[in-house]
Amino acid sequence: MANNKVLFRIQRFDPEKDEKPHHQDFEIELAPGATILKTLHQIRAEQDPTLALRYSCGSAICGSCAMKINGHAILACKTQVSECVRDGTVRVAPIGNLKILRDLVVDIEPFWESLGKVKPYLMPKGAAPDRERTQTPAQFGSIDPSTTCILCAACYSDCNALEVDPSFVGPASLAKAHRFIFDSRDAARQQRLREISQRTGVWDCTHCGECSTRCPTETKPLERIEEIRVQAMADGHHGNAGARHALGFRESVGKRGFLDENWLALRSVGFFNLPGLISLMPVGLRMMIRGKMPPLIPHTIDKVDEVKKIFARFEELRK
Amino acid sequence: MYSHDVVIVGSGLAGLRAALELAGNLDVAIVSKLYPSRSHSGAAQGGVAAALGNVDGDSVEAHIYDTVKGADFLGDQDAIEILCNDAPRTIYEMEHWGCPFSRTEDNRINQRAFGGHSYLRACFSADRTGHALLHTLFEQTYRQGGKLRLYSEWHMLRLIIEDGICRGVVAMNIHTGKLEVIRGKAVLFGTGGYGQAFKITSNASANTGDGIVAAYRAGVPLQDMEFVQFHPTGLYLHGILLTEGARGEGGYLINAEGDRFMSRYAPSKMELGPRDIVSRSEQTEINEGRGAGPNKEYVLLDLRHLGAKKIMERLPQVYNLAKDFIGVDCTADPVPIQPTAHYSMGGIPADNDCHVYLDEQGNHVTGFYVAGECSCISVHGANRLGTNSLLEALVFGRRAGKKMLDDVPRLKLAPVDEQREISAAQRQIEELYKGPATEDLDTIREELKQTMTLKVGVYRDAGGMEPAQAKIKQLRERFAKVRVGDKGKSFNINLLEALALSNMLEFSELIVDGALAREESRGAHFRNDFPTRDDNNWMRHTLAFRTEDGGHELRYKPVTVTKYQPEERKY
Amino acid sequence: MKYALYTGCVAKGAARELLAASLLVCEKLGVELVEMTDASCCGAGVIGEDNPMVADILNARTFSLAESQGLDIMNICGTCQGVHRKAQRKLENNVAYKERVNTELKKDTGREYKGTLKIKHFYEVLLQEVGLEKLRQKVVRPLKGLKVAPFYGCYALRPPQVNDLKNPDDPDELEGLIETLGATPVDYPERLKCCGFPIMMMNKDNSLKLAGNAVAGAKDAGADLIVTPCPLCHLNLDSYQPQFASKMGRELGIPILHVPQLVALAMGFSQAELRTKTHVVRPTGALAAI
Repeated sequence: MANNKVLFRIQRFDPEKDEKPHHQDFEIELAPGATILKTLHQIRAEQDPTLALRYSCGSAICGSCAMKINGHAILACKTQVSECVRDGTVRVAPIGNLKILRDLVVDIEPFWESLGKVKPYLMPKGAAPDRERTQTPAQFGSIDPSTTCILCAACYSDCNALEVDPSFVGPASLAKAHRFIFDSRDAARQQRLREISQRTGVWDCTHCGECSTRCPTETKPLERIEEIRVQAMADGHHGNAGARHALGFRESVGKRGFLDENWLALRSVGFFNLPGLISLMPVGLRMMIRGKMPPLIPHTIDKVDEVKKIFARFEELRK
Repeated sequence: MYSHDVVIVGSGLAGLRAALELAGNLDVAIVSKLYPSRSHSGAAQGGVAAALGNVDGDSVEAHIYDTVKGADFLGDQDAIEILCNDAPRTIYEMEHWGCPFSRTEDNRINQRAFGGHSYLRACFSADRTGHALLHTLFEQTYRQGGKLRLYSEWHMLRLIIEDGICRGVVAMNIHTGKLEVIRGKAVLFGTGGYGQAFKITSNASANTGDGIVAAYRAGVPLQDMEFVQFHPTGLYLHGILLTEGARGEGGYLINAEGDRFMSRYAPSKMELGPRDIVSRSEQTEINEGRGAGPNKEYVLLDLRHLGAKKIMERLPQVYNLAKDFIGVDCTADPVPIQPTAHYSMGGIPADNDCHVYLDEQGNHVTGFYVAGECSCISVHGANRLGTNSLLEALVFGRRAGKKMLDDVPRLKLAPVDEQREISAAQRQIEELYKGPATEDLDTIREELKQTMTLKVGVYRDAGGMEPAQAKIKQLRERFAKVRVGDKGKSFNINLLEALALSNMLEFSELIVDGALAREESRGAHFRNDFPTRDDNNWMRHTLAFRTEDGGHELRYKPVTVTKYQPEERKY
Repeated sequence: MKYALYTGCVAKGAARELLAASLLVCEKLGVELVEMTDASCCGAGVIGEDNPMVADILNARTFSLAESQGLDIMNICGTCQGVHRKAQRKLENNVAYKERVNTELKKDTGREYKGTLKIKHFYEVLLQEVGLEKLRQKVVRPLKGLKVAPFYGCYALRPPQVNDLKNPDDPDELEGLIETLGATPVDYPERLKCCGFPIMMMNKDNSLKLAGNAVAGAKDAGADLIVTPCPLCHLNLDSYQPQFASKMGRELGIPILHVPQLVALAMGFSQAELRTKTHVVRPTGALAAI
């Protein structure tokens, strides 16, 4: 039997002893088909029982065992160690964007709180019927992906926006908001869209894509965020910079097939938004001095009529 | 020390449902060693039963009969009637609260076939029904806002019962290691099952019977502990559940010869026979050398003929589990499976309103209630039908809530000697640090699990169980020599595992003893040396009482029969 | 080697130096380019969050324009590349949807997207078609001693299904390119993170923080400059640098180069030819050594 040794470099932190996190190396003989979780338990049994981590179901449904492997969040119970070895080493750390309590355990309270911000429960229409409310299979299909969320916080962990702004409601909450916005039985769609279009909501997502890349289920928050934005745009929730920015794109490309960047900046900020316009001045000035300013006469593509025809049917093509 | 009107231990389906019944009416606290959405209720896959009749001519009466028969006539029929009668209302309520159910072409809640059910009554959400229900209740706790006090990641160590009155619990805040008494006028346990005592189990690591053992140590008997359900389709090597719904959608069970062997064991129901029968059939195939794989140790679940489209739509979790955990693509290859310890029919005895019994005479513990898998009412008797457990947790979680709402105004916050209780819990913990460290926690746990699976598993007999009894006693002695390695206060997993093992050693004895004493085969309890059901002597519930010397004695009480006299159980 | 050059909007607007450098380098490498003057904006993901069907039709149209010339597309913008590949995957993975998009496209333009073309970013063409060996031979001014931090940009990395990186979670393609040009690649924690450009208009504070963290991270790891395949990343990291540097209360002064500019330097072109004068953070200082 071939020697199957792997080095697990695990981030440790003991609140009673350590000032800051540090790592500890464990050499381990890998069992065939071993998962990260099973191997961590092996380390605890054979080498160090003080390693702390969260785990429960072992079958990728409870969401307890999210952690960072080689810098990216995964679910430990269903991740094969063999796929994580880099130069003989596997780096293990707790999930990000949350305070470390001990070793691989983080304070997950802010995550539960962020869910509360989107009113994560059905707000149905009127009195309940005697039987079930009806819903078509297709309507169930619209909420099916977002209901697979196991609240593991892998998306929250790797979200770039949360890294610089903990007040951002976060990808899991947005996916949860999606689950209700698109539930045909919910009566509060417009209220939800209105609230989620405000600061710390859906337009604060920087589109880094980490959430969907890390999501271990079908939830895929970025796709849900995109769908929320589409619905918000369709339903006229335009009173925010994100929507204005999207309108700017629509208008510019619809007219020229191309972006008039100068105009887009002004459009997004708001033509009458004095503080916003003023805030654009430093960078605008700098770019002007450098000769970097996009041409004042905006570019129009050849055969722009084809594009105009497409945009002429904009609303029709929403369906 | 904290005080509330009601203290609920366990935040799965039963605990949450009870809490939601009470929120806003009473001061309710939920104490749970896991955050609510992590509870094992979420791992249930296939469906929740109710005679809605959305796809066929089902009836509550048929549901009752199927459940009575499924329980091999050990279920209390009055409780079963309550369960089945309340089922449709329960499902509609969950749907009204937003539970996403898979739908029929005419937009109603879809229902599919399930083992032991003679009609299509399993309401499902793809193959994530437990998850859908658990998250629905979890979402509803957000609606309650500040009306529910959650002690999440608090590990309950002791149940305080004095002079027949339940007064609260002692729990440890896992984040800080601090012990606290949490008093209540009423205490409800929704603490789940005990499958972790077995090597091959679908149960989460958390399912170590903490609640039932705390009750037992506080003087409450445990009922029908010997009845452990082995689910036929546990993923090979991991024991992870692959829903019965896979067979409900038409999947086959085949042996190494490609033979659909259920034709020899349950010719009319085939793969959809009740779980005990199917598991035993699989085990027989394996024992008789027709198992598949290099060691001939598993049988196969074949879904190929269902087609990728149906699999991805109806059984996506099954697909992902087989792929992620053992690298099998179930659209292309059959999946290796083994019987896996799945459900605990045994538990804390209670009446139909979830009020806990103190003995077999019908006396109660004032202020103590149970619901869900940790209870034994008993709706499942000797064997549970799939989809009835999610139902039980919801129906009786609500009933417990209603009962407590009724009782609490008449109950007082009984006095607790905080010092004494904390010290007792403290001693429990200190014991685990006193051993000479000549024995190892993980080794003892492994040996317990191996023993239980091999000797107290699908097939039992005295020749296996007597040594198992002795082995467990020996393991308990060796456990005293363990020393917990982690001295930390915060998130001391090592200590929690030691506490859990202590619980498992305690209730495992009750399983073996109950099984040894019961000289018959009934439901999930099958003995090679007593292979037939013996209604004359054994149509009764086992009750295990802790004795002063730390041992136990077994007493019995009759089964409530209302309509259905026991008959031969054939499928 | 001949490609339909899809410039994207920024390379004709706020980052014209990118287009200039790309043309210079491709000519020297024998990569023939036919500029797609009739292609529309790719939508940058933004139109896709307003009206996905319109976004997909626009991109299907772009693809059909290249196909009708029998050419594959080369992008010089990381975002355009990501958006194009995502759109292509969406169309290829769903036959019914592709048919629907083509129906609409035909209605308005008479065009049809067949699905025969490949879409590559300039740096992918370099690595996959030209090859590092041939590139090395064209290096006349090895960038010895220059410490270069690659900033991939989100659209080059995620989702992993729409790029050709060997290991999208830990890529080394740009590092390999940097080494081939004679420079030293610098590793730093922010190299796979977001520059913040998408939220500049919506949440300036957060956008500046993301950009600031990236540049500071590269600087603290010893980088002389940053190279990036996306001009939107370039814009955020360069044009706003004085602003976020001041917010962070520190001097940064890390020039940001487009990939073709770095390649062009190594191939002997001057900074003037690369139009680095238009950069807000001029690379003159950093490049003085070479």
